[in-house]
Amino acid sequence: MKNISQKLFLFAIIVAVVSSCTKLNEQILDESSITGLSDKQVADGLIAPVYARLPDIYRHTTYFALQEISTDEAILPYRGGTDWGDNGIYLSLHRHETTSTDPNVNDTWNLIVQEISRSLTALSSLKDNKDPNAPGYIAEARGMRAFYNMLSLDMFGIVFVKDDPTAVSTIIRGEEAVNYLKSEFLAVEPLLNNTNGPGRLTQAGVWGLLARLYLNAAVYNDRYANNFNFKQQDMDSVVLYCDKIISSGNYALSADYFAIFGNDNHTNKELIFAVDQRPDLNGHNRMAYFSLSGDQYPLPQYPAANGTDGPAITSDFYETWAQANAPLDPAQADPRFYKQNISIYTNPGDSCVSDFNMDRGILRGQQYGLLRVNGAFVKCSSGLFKVGKLFNQSRSNPNLPVNFTEMVDFTTEGSNYSTGYRVEKYEFSRASSSGRNFGQADISIVRLADIYFMRAEAKLRKNDAASALADVNTVRMSRTAYTLQPTPISTINLDLLFRERGFEFYWEMLRRTDMVRFGKYEGSWTEKTNTDKNKRIFPIPQNAIDGSSNLPGYLVQNPGY
Amino acid sequence: MRLLKFNSLRKVCPTVKLARFLPVFLIAFFVLIYPGAISAKDKVASSSENADRIVSGKVTDEATGNPLIGATVTVKGTNNSTTTSTDGRYSISVKDDNATLVFSFVGYTTKEMSIGDASAIDVTLKVASAELSEVVIGYGTQSKKDVTGSVKSLQPGDFNKGIINSPEQLLQGKVAGVNVTSTSGEPGAQLSITVRGPGGIRTGSTPLFVLDGLALDNSSTGGGNPLNFLNPQDIASIDVLKDASATAIYGARGANGVILITTKRGKSGVGSISYSGTLGISSIAKKIPVFSTSEYKKQVVNVGGVLDDKGGSTDWQDVITRTATTQNHNLTLSGGANKLTYYASFGLQDQQGIIKHNDFKRYTGRFNATQKFLDDRLTIEANMTATSTYDLRPDYGTVIGSAISNDPTYPAYDSVGKPAQYQNINNPLQSFNLDKEITKINRVIGNITATVKLAKGLTYKLNFGIDNSTGTRDVQALPSTVPQRDGRLDTYYTTNRNTLFENYLTYNTDWGDHSLTALAGQSYQKIFLQGRNYSINKFPISPVEPQYNPGLGQELTLANNQPGGYALVNELQSFFGRVNYQYKNKYLLTATLRADGSSKFGGNNKYGYFPSFSLGWKINDESFMEHSAFDVLKLRAGWGQTGNQEIPSKITEALFTSTVSSSSSYPLSETGPYPGGTIYTRLANPDIQWEVSTQTNIGLDFGLLEGRLSGSIDVFNKNTNKILLQVIPADPIQPANTVWTNVKDMNINNKGIEVDLEYRVVNLKGFSYGVGGNITSLTNEVTKSPYSVIPSGSASGSGLTSATINGYINNQPIGTFYLKEFTGFDANGLSVYRDVDGDGIISDKDRIAAGSALPNLLYNFDINLGYKGFDFAANFNGVSGNKIYDNTANSNFYKLKIFKGLNTTDEAIQYPQESVNNAAPVSTRFLKDGAYLRLNNLALGYNFDVEKLRINHWVKNLRLSITGQNIFVITKYDGFDPEVNADRQINGVLSYGIDFLSYPKARSIIFGLNVTF
Repeated sequence: MKNISQKLFLFAIIVAVVSSCTKLNEQILDESSITGLSDKQVADGLIAPVYARLPDIYRHTTYFALQEISTDEAILPYRGGTDWGDNGIYLSLHRHETTSTDPNVNDTWNLIVQEISRSLTALSSLKDNKDPNAPGYIAEARGMRAFYNMLSLDMFGIVFVKDDPTAVSTIIRGEEAVNYLKSEFLAVEPLLNNTNGPGRLTQAGVWGLLARLYLNAAVYNDRYANNFNFKQQDMDSVVLYCDKIISSGNYALSADYFAIFGNDNHTNKELIFAVDQRPDLNGHNRMAYFSLSGDQYPLPQYPAANGTDGPAITSDFYETWAQANAPLDPAQADPRFYKQNISIYTNPGDSCVSDFNMDRGILRGQQYGLLRVNGAFVKCSSGLFKVGKLFNQSRSNPNLPVNFTEMVDFTTEGSNYSTGYRVEKYEFSRASSSGRNFGQADISIVRLADIYFMRAEAKLRKNDAASALADVNTVRMSRTAYTLQPTPISTINLDLLFRERGFEFYWEMLRRTDMVRFGKYEGSWTEKTNTDKNKRIFPIPQNAIDGSSNLPGYLVQNPGY
Repeated sequence: MRLLKFNSLRKVCPTVKLARFLPVFLIAFFVLIYPGAISAKDKVASSSENADRIVSGKVTDEATGNPLIGATVTVKGTNNSTTTSTDGRYSISVKDDNATLVFSFVGYTTKEMSIGDASAIDVTLKVASAELSEVVIGYGTQSKKDVTGSVKSLQPGDFNKGIINSPEQLLQGKVAGVNVTSTSGEPGAQLSITVRGPGGIRTGSTPLFVLDGLALDNSSTGGGNPLNFLNPQDIASIDVLKDASATAIYGARGANGVILITTKRGKSGVGSISYSGTLGISSIAKKIPVFSTSEYKKQVVNVGGVLDDKGGSTDWQDVITRTATTQNHNLTLSGGANKLTYYASFGLQDQQGIIKHNDFKRYTGRFNATQKFLDDRLTIEANMTATSTYDLRPDYGTVIGSAISNDPTYPAYDSVGKPAQYQNINNPLQSFNLDKEITKINRVIGNITATVKLAKGLTYKLNFGIDNSTGTRDVQALPSTVPQRDGRLDTYYTTNRNTLFENYLTYNTDWGDHSLTALAGQSYQKIFLQGRNYSINKFPISPVEPQYNPGLGQELTLANNQPGGYALVNELQSFFGRVNYQYKNKYLLTATLRADGSSKFGGNNKYGYFPSFSLGWKINDESFMEHSAFDVLKLRAGWGQTGNQEIPSKITEALFTSTVSSSSSYPLSETGPYPGGTIYTRLANPDIQWEVSTQTNIGLDFGLLEGRLSGSIDVFNKNTNKILLQVIPADPIQPANTVWTNVKDMNINNKGIEVDLEYRVVNLKGFSYGVGGNITSLTNEVTKSPYSVIPSGSASGSGLTSATINGYINNQPIGTFYLKEFTGFDANGLSVYRDVDGDGIISDKDRIAAGSALPNLLYNFDINLGYKGFDFAANFNGVSGNKIYDNTANSNFYKLKIFKGLNTTDEAIQYPQESVNNAAPVSTRFLKDGAYLRLNNLALGYNFDVEKLRINHWVKNLRLSITGQNIFVITKYDGFDPEVNADRQINGVLSYGIDFLSYPKARSIIFGLNVTF
């Protein structure tokens, strides 16, 4: 009996051991790879991510920082020794001393390479899709892959060629890269239509990007040249694609300059290709929030929505406005410079308002606005909102007025909270409860004014100054929506064209590319004296270099970094 | 013993889950049929019975002569036993003169006496020395003298005293090679604990904790330290397994050491009720020495700042802190009859934090029972504990930050005694009123084991355990008019469930000079984790707190209130075996092997195999040592491989999801819903596996002078490789920016020497004294990392965003501070840093390895004195060779700050040449020496002589004690406390040695009363 029970017990153990076995397949409860979608859902689901990171690329700390703070248009000092110190990265960026560990460079790079990969995923996965939109989506994805690669070429000097998702990308540079991008854009151009703009890539969008590529080809072909060789045939191509857009009749210059950057700009006919921002999905308000004072509150309904005392324009850039318009003040001469919305400036008694709209353009001097005390806006006895002179209350400097000065640099005085003229080009989103979130305005990538300007530049580089002047004045004279009427300029040359580009496109993330192309990037302004040509492109992030350390010679750091 | 071939395990294993419970039924069946077998045997025995006679006597302590109550007296080879009464007396019936009586008592050496014709036998028992005591080694116990690995066992008498929230605090400083660092002084806060140095760069370098055979999961249970649930009073012993030969039996979880916690059990024959209560009074041990009001006014003017004198004089650190009380009450019942023993306790700890509006409460209940059946062939043990913790916390960052930098001339209260409102400074009292966080965690852990003696020397054990906890954390921001806020409630729910099921066989045998113990077993563990969070905005201003009625919230938007959540299942299946072999009781060999399969591992690496071997030689038992001074001299040597499977779940599987979110979707049309964007969130890596640690250990245990001096020395070398990291692929064009991988060749080495020494003397006149201590020398080095630097330790404070403090770099230890080297000031009073690469630009490329947060020396010593009823103990611990990055000073204490009217310490004005405009980026300027020596515990106790007081009939023991905790710290560090480790990890890569607005440490005096009835 004892033996039997022992045997039985041993049997029990064996059963126990064997029966409690598991295959250890990982069970995933909170995520699932998608299944059961229709062809249309699959197709939409593949093309949407191709654009999805655009708002993040066109952000204050990514593409904006790299394209603007590195130039004479924007400077971001260590505000009051307390804000925007960020371990010195914005000072380095302005001084052309950025290193390969710079987080903003790293973030921008990551977003771009991610979108190249998503474009590739979309275009290879859409091949078997039966949805009628699929062929168009493939063309968009391929065009966007070229667009992101063009950003990479412009900023990092390299282009990734990858058609097989399982292969390792081929890295190309210089003329080879330019030719590859041209062929890609040309391949998709006939397949695209013009009905999905400006938020998605259209045929006109591709034409605009082609014009931009041809215009900069001289730079991309020979990055470190002392003088760029702008080839005639490239300039002809610029003119060709600009002509196609202008003659299509689908686009129009906006009479109201600031409407191009307004909250309801999605239907503005000047926009050809833009980041489609929706407050309930992907919109950020960083363009409008970044430069304003921390004591400027643009929305009566949101007492937490303020600015941040970010970048200002440099005094050098301001002087180009002042000199061009002298003896008139730029605000009295050029409608693109400033638009007053708060009446108190011209009518000092008007200190109680029912609603409130920030001034636009370049903000100078003492600022007035909603007065926030202990977290709430002060109201007049009538119940209207009180508007008054602003002080740096939130900076523990209640006696320091929010009085924007021309002088801004990296000295202590120049770094104070209110130094530098500020830019409120994009309208502050009406929906932004924090000041940072819920952006409404589309962000321009390519707009019609740039098409005229690129055509002007190509013609000028072909020594057709008359046509160039005409194009520049076409843009200048189109801004007729205000009492202040625009005036034409009488002569044009490359320096004047560069200056005019600044007036038209300030803070539109084109400046670094422009400065390099016009040979201005090694110049000196405010705190910048570095003349190293290697700084025309940014370093490849150290993270990426480290990541490729198992493939020696694959990802080579740019010279000078 | 032949080991199983594990390669084909997966094919062998069927997956019938129900069958997992089959053994339970089979045991029940076995129990039912077994009585037949027993009764048959009994009949045989009784047929040869002689006439009984009675033997009686008294059992006393050899040293003191005191009677031993509850000692067990057994007739050898039978189940005939009894226990001694309250005066130490026993009587037992025996059958013949050849019988032998076995006298045993917990903590004493067992003695055997043959009775012959004696009718009265008095026995004295000797207190078991440490060498003779049992240590818990995982799936069994072993006599300390036979252990071949590096194991340290702590009994309650060894534990740190005072206000204790979690078991790591009990053993801080007590075990060589174990480094326990509190992250802050907050009650119930996380502690970082490493055994023999960190072996990985990510989180998850914590040792495995095993509670009564149930391996715990180290995942967060919703807030604070997950081990806060244990009542220290319930702990009978903590055994720390340090080297691989000891931990390899825990395989893929053994790489970072194993800590085995055993709770108290009842003793048969002794029923007792005891109460212990303490009252602790705590206050801030050290304030940050910011300027006093008068000094502040002087200094602001001195540096040329504008004094904004509001006429008050506020010590803002006094405003936020308080004298806090902690009450602890424990009621314990234990006892048992012959076959049933039990231990039950109820504990309550109600602790106030030294920062106002911070309370930590813990309620624990425990019930442990052991029941023997079937002639003691079957033993059932059940352990069960239930804990509820409550943690109320203010918004520390804001409160502490304001307290050390606010202008002291600002009054804290307004004219009517309410917290004063300021536009430009934050009054922490306001913060106390508006912001709080409440975390409630309920945890129930139970396990039941059945041990069956199958045959002589062969035992089967089944262990089934469940650990279930639920946590709720409410983060409540009240609405207010001034400042204008809408109010918000965030609620986080967590559920953790850990199920263990294991069976193992142990076989003991002796033949001739040989002795063998073999173990073979199987274990299955399943861990389920779930978290969910919800929020709601815009509460009306009302006396109702949002946590009590979230429905009062008026705004729910997807952008602000999108619920979140996760759920994970991890399974671990293991097969293990161990052989302990002894030859002539002098030569010892231990070999173990564990095969661990984990659902976290990739398909190509489902099972890992973790072997170990160790040898021991009891030199003192050799004939040539007969006349030596050594009572104990044992040489140990071991080698083993262990793993760390604390890798994130789901990284083996690729995932592409379709979600509507700002980073995946985009408007495709003017109107209509947004499409769900299909994106890869993760790439598959079917090769993912555990990190592997290979460790060798050589140790020497010794005892001299008749046991008065004892100790051990261990030398170890631990190499960890296959380091798990989230890396960037070589080709940047990848669906996911990073991929998880085991980095080939990368190695983390820890090597060190550990010395434990103890000298104890017991004088016959009742005077005893002892000194003991340990010292650990540890070096750590990272080699062959493919990365120029893996940054961690993100800096906080204005101007410091994006700066990192730690860096993992080759040929430097983990916890290295990788910083620009501050060399002084230029003519303008601006900081100058060394231009290491000589390019004329000070950039990230000029950073140097400026020391490490890991101490290279840890030490602890204690002094014990006893006389008659008095006992006194002092316990010191310290570290040296480490540095601390004072991020608090970096963001607050430099000249610009006092110039701007913020309060600072005199660190801000230490450089007369510094400009008031000089920024303070992260650099060696704020790197400080972290060495310290702390008088951790000072305890004085008195045990009343209950006989003299004539209360011994109803009180067995009465004790009063007074304990000081954190009496003083000797250190050069000028923050709150040098023992600090703010969590500033970056993407799971651990930070080390950073102090940023850490919760200050308390100094406490604790009055205690213990009564046993």
